[in-house]
Amino acid sequence: MSETLLQASGVGIEFGGLRALRGFDLEIRQGDLKGLIGPNGAGKTTAFNLLTGVYVPTQGEIRVCGERVNGRQPHQINHLGLARTFQNIRLFRALTALDNVRVACLSDERPLFSRARIDELRRRTGGRSSVASAMDALNNYVDWWRALLLTPGFQKEEAELTRRAEELLEVMGLSHRRDEEARNLPYGEQRRLEIARALGTRPRVLLLDEPAAGMNTREKADLMVLIRRLRDQFSLGLLVIEHDMKLVMGICEDITVLDHGVTIARGAPERVRQDPKVIEAYLGDSYLASHGMAVPTRTPTSETPSA
Amino acid sequence: MTLGPRLRGVVPVVLAIAVLALAQLLFGHLPFFVYLASIVGVNVVLAVSLNIVNGMTGQFSIGHAGFMAVGAYTAGKMSLLIKDVAISGLPTAVSDQVQLVGTLLAGGVAAAICGFVVGLPSLRLRGDYLAIVTLGFGEIIRVVVQNLDVFGRALGLSGIPQTSSLFAVWFCVFLVILVARRIVGSTHGRSLWAIREDEVAAEAMGVDTTGYKVRAFVISSFFAGVAGGLFAHFVPIINPGSFTFVKSIEVVVMVVAGGLGSTTGAIVAAVFLTLLPEALRSLFLQLGGLDTGASLAQKVDQIRMPVYGILLVILMLVRPQGLFGTREIWDIVPRWWPRSRKGIT
Repeated sequence: MSETLLQASGVGIEFGGLRALRGFDLEIRQGDLKGLIGPNGAGKTTAFNLLTGVYVPTQGEIRVCGERVNGRQPHQINHLGLARTFQNIRLFRALTALDNVRVACLSDERPLFSRARIDELRRRTGGRSSVASAMDALNNYVDWWRALLLTPGFQKEEAELTRRAEELLEVMGLSHRRDEEARNLPYGEQRRLEIARALGTRPRVLLLDEPAAGMNTREKADLMVLIRRLRDQFSLGLLVIEHDMKLVMGICEDITVLDHGVTIARGAPERVRQDPKVIEAYLGDSYLASHGMAVPTRTPTSETPSA
Repeated sequence: MTLGPRLRGVVPVVLAIAVLALAQLLFGHLPFFVYLASIVGVNVVLAVSLNIVNGMTGQFSIGHAGFMAVGAYTAGKMSLLIKDVAISGLPTAVSDQVQLVGTLLAGGVAAAICGFVVGLPSLRLRGDYLAIVTLGFGEIIRVVVQNLDVFGRALGLSGIPQTSSLFAVWFCVFLVILVARRIVGSTHGRSLWAIREDEVAAEAMGVDTTGYKVRAFVISSFFAGVAGGLFAHFVPIINPGSFTFVKSIEVVVMVVAGGLGSTTGAIVAAVFLTLLPEALRSLFLQLGGLDTGASLAQKVDQIRMPVYGILLVILMLVRPQGLFGTREIWDIVPRWWPRSRKGIT
């Protein structure tokens, strides 16, 4: 079995007195395609923000590629291999499609000390090493000088980044929009551009926050194919927040259902779909009726068949 | 234009030196022209450097005069201390220029250090904290030099060797433009734009937002210090009155008027707004102003701020995004020149 890329155990956060999320567990390995669903305000996006470091959890532990990331900054967590998209598209609107992706494409080559060496040092000292920080600072310093002097090596790196960004645009079918400003793209293409940008950071785990929101049926169908293809092509682990049940049930192998910050069910799509708690909290009787399923007679104290 | 990767880095510098040397030969002996060109040059350096922070990175600094003051007083004081010393083995003129370069660098570095100290705590935060802190910093610097004997208190420093030249000032102008353009065209510049556009998304895409903001701020402060150093070497006296809050706002106005993020916009606005009072002055003379000299100069100076205000209001009404918006002059003007728009870089 492949190694665990993203692991959350017992993660929770409180805003003042409000417990937005508690006891959240998750594990993502390479090739996984998991879903996270729940009614509005259930804590799905809060979970994403916790995993990516926007919020710092008040309970529990998050590990990315084996490293504890509680309290690390989002860009550091991103460098470990975790990328995301946003529910309400957050592209760099005035930048061209190409530049949006190029921002994310950071060069792996560092001028003085290799990234691997700095990471190794950080790992040994448990995240806080002044030597590693100094090495990082020196790297940045030299890197800026290379940009200002426009050294041949720097130009080569830039060309390489551009090539990589163009490749990603190609993969997402956006090559024809290369030089267009992101804000001028149609909605569906903006969503795809956000995924391309996230892929630019060379993630091992990709978190998609409602990737199909605002898409029409056809675009949704294409997206399902695309998400599967991305997983295989880039050897990713994927976690998807989505409201469209058809999409989630169609592609996800494992679904976690949140309600009021608590995990109420987890498991394969068919099992989750028939879970009485999920139906009550989220799907509603009309969903079952419209899918030709029997509306269960609910007993007030139904036991928890969660995994 | 296709140049080899090696040449692309060097050719602009060689070209600039040649052109500026020629300009120095042709116009270097016209005192008023050189003075005016130097004032314009200093303002261009200030505007272009401030644009790196306020325009490209989207932070709001309103203390540029403070950093200019740090550079001016550091470089000026150093020049005063070493003015009787000549570097042995060099002709006096050359030695003077070497000393000028040294003091300018010292002024720039001093301002950059101040920029780092001011920027590190305030750029960690989002929002308008930088504006408040830089505003305070500018005032602190002014009050400090006003009360220190070493810096001549309110009288300021006089007798600084006037070693600046057309070439020196405009070479610095060239340098700051080169730096600004190369930042924009590089991965660093794209990260700055990303921060301006959406800080949360930039951070999620692996951009060290605090680090980038501080670096942009330090570079900007460095050039403000250099501009101050130049200023100290061509005006007879520097005193705290030259580095007030009004000066900071003047620079902000140039950047906003030119279009936040547009380097050429900052240049055009800086040149225009610097020459405006001079143009007004000659206009007054043409109209047969009653008296010349100090009283007229005062009138012109008094009328300048209202004119600034009116101009800004008009500009913001007509073009809220500034003269050029985030674009450069060549993205807008030559429609007959076939070129594809390449976005920001």
